[in-house]
Amino acid sequence: MALFKKRPAPSDFEKEALPHLPALYAAALRMTRHEKDAEDLVQDALVRAYRFFDTFEAGTNCKAWLFRILTNVFCNRYREREREHEILHEAEASPANFEQFLAGADAGRDVETALLGHMVSGDVEKALAALPSDFRMAVILADLEDFSYKEIADIMECPAGTVMSRLYRGRKMLQQALYQYAVEQGIIKAGSHADVAPADAADAPVDMAAYRRRKENGGA
Amino acid sequence: MNCAEAETVLPGYSDGEITEVDRGQIERHLASCAACASRTRLQARFKAAVRAHLPRPPVPQELRVRLRAVLGEREIAPRRWLWATHPRLVPAAVAAVLLVAITGTVRHSQSMVLTQAQRTYQAELPMDITGSDCRSIASWFRGRVDFPVPPPAIAAGSCQGGRLVNVRERAAAYIVTRGENGHRVAYLVFDPRDESIDAPDRRLVNGREIYFGTGPGVSTAAYHDRGLGYVVTSDLDEDALTRLVTASFTKSGP
Repeated sequence: MALFKKRPAPSDFEKEALPHLPALYAAALRMTRHEKDAEDLVQDALVRAYRFFDTFEAGTNCKAWLFRILTNVFCNRYREREREHEILHEAEASPANFEQFLAGADAGRDVETALLGHMVSGDVEKALAALPSDFRMAVILADLEDFSYKEIADIMECPAGTVMSRLYRGRKMLQQALYQYAVEQGIIKAGSHADVAPADAADAPVDMAAYRRRKENGGA
Repeated sequence: MNCAEAETVLPGYSDGEITEVDRGQIERHLASCAACASRTRLQARFKAAVRAHLPRPPVPQELRVRLRAVLGEREIAPRRWLWATHPRLVPAAVAAVLLVAITGTVRHSQSMVLTQAQRTYQAELPMDITGSDCRSIASWFRGRVDFPVPPPAIAAGSCQGGRLVNVRERAAAYIVTRGENGHRVAYLVFDPRDESIDAPDRRLVNGREIYFGTGPGVSTAAYHDRGLGYVVTSDLDEDALTRLVTASFTKSGP
């Protein structure tokens, strides 16, 4: 097989891989949260991609292939170091007042403007940086880089269901952090919607297949 | 579809990850339920807002320069070790690579250490220390080589013995094990600063670079792990050897 495959030339690499440099660097910076680490990470990932470029199948998604390598290098090298930070963030039970705030929308309150209208980039960056790395990666890959669930599953080497729950929880934690900032800055008054019942369980499974199964079993 | 059911599928809906059939059901629900509709809108707007607030930072010029330099070198030998520890050797290495490029010899020849491991394996030289406990074999090398030798992470079988060998000018550890199916597997552990690893066939296995080489009747896998170089030689076929090496990563891995 390999005999019949044309060996890729360095110019192919330049054409196929290097256009993704801005995306790789942006993701690396948000994964490592340090400029120097991000540069090293991108360099190591690209050197590795270059050496193994003959294993890349021309015509397939090069960006996804590169991100898989980037994620792999990141997990092997940097994640160990950051684990200690993250224990602090593991307590992710959604505070009741945030749930009440969200539920305010059901009662016709303008939650959108309250949460999104005053958002500033620095806060969003800070909130993203505070997410545990698995959730952070899922959010970066899906919301900033537009990868599909399946591509993310491939990049992060986990099942699609895990991608969905990481994404769901990651976004929720992000909203929660931004809500918290807004409360601290006095933009939103905490507990102002205490009259509204809290929303459903935060960790609901995000799974269409499960929904269909329930439906087939005679659910509503 | 009721609200609780909708909640589980709405993220997939917002991300465009559902089938047309599901979309119809969800949209029917959203049309009749103001609460779910407003939540869905909030999620979509939140996603858009996050994206708008997090533009891609510019790529530092310095990174571009670095990339041009490392990728331009063509044959990028395991540079971490050489670069980090022997900066003065690098110009010599670059010259050597250039020489290879100019004279047009084989690009990925098997490095000496693989050939050496294969020869040692086939010669079945006597062991300096014998015993079945890998831990005590590994600790025998303490003081005899310049680095701590970890016992080989073998899933089955036992150790047979160890022998002090030289890789270039420096002492290295050679440990022989025998699997339960009778296959002999030998581990050469050395300081990769002395000798870089290369082989015609290289692959990424679990994110690691593994180099495969073959000698007459033996197959060899070489890799780096925690700053040490390893060459695993055996009479197993290449697939079995790959499995064995991969298993040792997951056993002792990070």
